[in-house]
Amino acid sequence: MKFSTILIAMLFLTACYEDTDVTLHEAGVYKGSVDQHALTAHERETVLKKRFKQVQMDR
Amino acid sequence: MARMKFLCDDERCIECNACVTACKNEHEVPWGINRRRVVTLDDGVPGEKSISVACMHCTDAPCQAVCPVDCFYTTDDGVVLHDKDICIGCGYCFYACPFGAPQYPQEGAFGARGKMDKCTFCAGGPEEDHSHEELDKYGRNRLAEGKLPLCAEMCSTKSLLAGDGDVVADLFRNRVVRREGRGEAWGWNTAYQDK
Repeated sequence: MKFSTILIAMLFLTACYEDTDVTLHEAGVYKGSVDQHALTAHERETVLKKRFKQVQMDR
Repeated sequence: MARMKFLCDDERCIECNACVTACKNEHEVPWGINRRRVVTLDDGVPGEKSISVACMHCTDAPCQAVCPVDCFYTTDDGVVLHDKDICIGCGYCFYACPFGAPQYPQEGAFGARGKMDKCTFCAGGPEEDHSHEELDKYGRNRLAEGKLPLCAEMCSTKSLLAGDGDVVADLFRNRVVRREGRGEAWGWNTAYQDK
């Protein structure tokens, strides 16, 4: 009886698991995911300038 | 290096709200949230002016400065983005932003605030480009496809411009010179006899 009570209590408490992997904050430091890009900043600049001239310039 | 900027030409904006609709549709923005909206001054009065406003991706962003958990970052293109996994939805960025760009979806009971949502300059977020997570959290990543923000690309009067600040400034400067100080909105004189 005692054993089964403990077992049931443990099964219920497994639902109360909390992820303890917290992000410790440091002032002024971004600790989120790093944004990866396929192209370099210079390549993107060239591509986007071309796109601007193609789509948004006055006719 | 490029610094991406928005510019809305108030002489050309006709308050059609197509930019707002395009943004909501492209990024499947939740109900009750507007990443972009059109503001009209002196509505209904001859000479009224409208501008389309969203996050202006400030060079020295106040939202970034006040964020207590530093969830903001600026990309190499000068786009201000944030990580929703770190955001705690405190609302400080909303108070700091002079444009009212940060928005909060209602989550859960009793009107609890969710993670902050704002214009991403169609650059997605920190998740992997074109991943399901990125689309779900931040919307489509058009910059990674070599495209510029949809709101500006589909603006019928080319009022809303989005791109490298230098290129946008050159285009706008040419317009101002061409206008020679006159308004460029078609039909004002006819509609209001405002000569």
